[in-house]
Amino acid sequence: MTLPVAHALASRQDLPIPAWLFAWAASIVLIVSFFALSAAWRKPQFEDEHRRPLGERLSAALLSLPAQALCGAIGVFLLGVAVYAGLRGTEAPDRNFALTFIFVTCWLGFPFFSAIFGDLFRPFNPWRAVGRAAGGAFARIAGQRPAHLAYPERLGRWPAAVGLLAFVWIEVVYGRTSIVSVDIEPHAVAVAALVYSVYTLAMMAVFGVEVWCERGEAFSVYFGMFGRLGIFGARDGRLYRRRPFSAATDWATLPGSAAVVIASIAATSFDGAQDGAFKDAIENVFIWFSDRGLALTTSLRLTDTIFMLATFGAVALVYLLGVRGMRTVPGAPSFKVLRTGFAHTLIPIALAYLVAHYFSFFVFQEQAQFGYLLSDPLGTGHTDLFGTVANEVDYKLLSANAIWYIQVAALVVGHVIGLMLAHDRALVYWPDYRKATASQYWMLAVMVAFTCFGLYLLSVANG
Amino acid sequence: MLPVAHVGHYLWTLYVIPIAIVVAAIVRNTVAQRRAGREDDSRR
Repeated sequence: MTLPVAHALASRQDLPIPAWLFAWAASIVLIVSFFALSAAWRKPQFEDEHRRPLGERLSAALLSLPAQALCGAIGVFLLGVAVYAGLRGTEAPDRNFALTFIFVTCWLGFPFFSAIFGDLFRPFNPWRAVGRAAGGAFARIAGQRPAHLAYPERLGRWPAAVGLLAFVWIEVVYGRTSIVSVDIEPHAVAVAALVYSVYTLAMMAVFGVEVWCERGEAFSVYFGMFGRLGIFGARDGRLYRRRPFSAATDWATLPGSAAVVIASIAATSFDGAQDGAFKDAIENVFIWFSDRGLALTTSLRLTDTIFMLATFGAVALVYLLGVRGMRTVPGAPSFKVLRTGFAHTLIPIALAYLVAHYFSFFVFQEQAQFGYLLSDPLGTGHTDLFGTVANEVDYKLLSANAIWYIQVAALVVGHVIGLMLAHDRALVYWPDYRKATASQYWMLAVMVAFTCFGLYLLSVANG
Repeated sequence: MLPVAHVGHYLWTLYVIPIAIVVAAIVRNTVAQRRAGREDDSRR
């Protein structure tokens, strides 16, 4: 398996109209949605989560200490299996449990399902489980709770944003061994997972488990961000149902939150563009570096790093231009308030990009995950734990056209939800709906830009 | 002779057109609103 190269890329579609016309149609859908929102939506609807508690027994059972310990133990066990498979298993990326489990099942599965059901990673987070167990053991032995340093609030979620980019960098930059192939070694991934585990546990010891999970632990922040779109949450020892997307509205209050969601969009965009829209430009810069005496691998990694950071900068610039545009509307709050206040509107776009770019890859690779990888996690060919080692991936499960329509639908729906959240937030800052609407012209431009960019990336990659 | 073989390199322009239309409409609208605001102020 050449991991990211294979994602979402099926054979060329046989579409009834040119791919670019879908971008035009999607833009029209967004414009129509925008005016529909302006006409019919005059009071904020998402600022209150409208919580409805679930049954007391169900809450008590799911949030009980044994249930939490069990979920945490499952998380630790699976991380252990992945690390062991990476260290001791085959170096063939497509036959080793570690890569598919980390880069597909977790990296894509948690966002997809958390966006529906709420944050699913939190109970299974292996580092949180270990940190809590260690904290509990310390309290029992020392007779007091462990003391922590105060977290520098100005740092906010910036460590998570950097961690997110670092994870993607390992996947799509470090693992790229030539201009056309990606063959990240399972051993390298396992070592990275161990290094990250040590770093995370150290940070938890310094700042506290929950503080670090909320702010600095890249996976908790990233998966938790998508979880805010989902319909279930927990507070004060009780599970509750809430209005979809409503928990997202207060997600971005910590500094650096906008950077996390922008990093997510940029990472997906770069991964999609690396072998498509950016291919020629990357090749040219790569040749430029290698002509100046740099080793081929160094040239390639340097080039990819530059393009990845440039993509992050470009996505941030589009968003900030939209925010800057809102400032022109009379009664606008400060740039800083707007920049933070609308960051959560990018979460559905980040999800849309993930679905559009990786949905088919996820469907195909999960067949491998629950087929031969589950029965032979080390990829040695000698074990068949569950009798599924002969199960192969059915690539006919999704046709190229079906993948394209799912991609288009994901992008359109994601951006319409983004528009909806932005309009809702605008009504908080501008209670006069006419001013709120005027402010959202700029977010409409941002959404149209992200939609067309996303469809362009996909059309080039699929073409 | 038209460079038809390289037309694929310029396909991105078709994706930029909707963005350009929306941005142009917003800029035009903003300028018109500002002008109307200034005219209102001068009348007062």
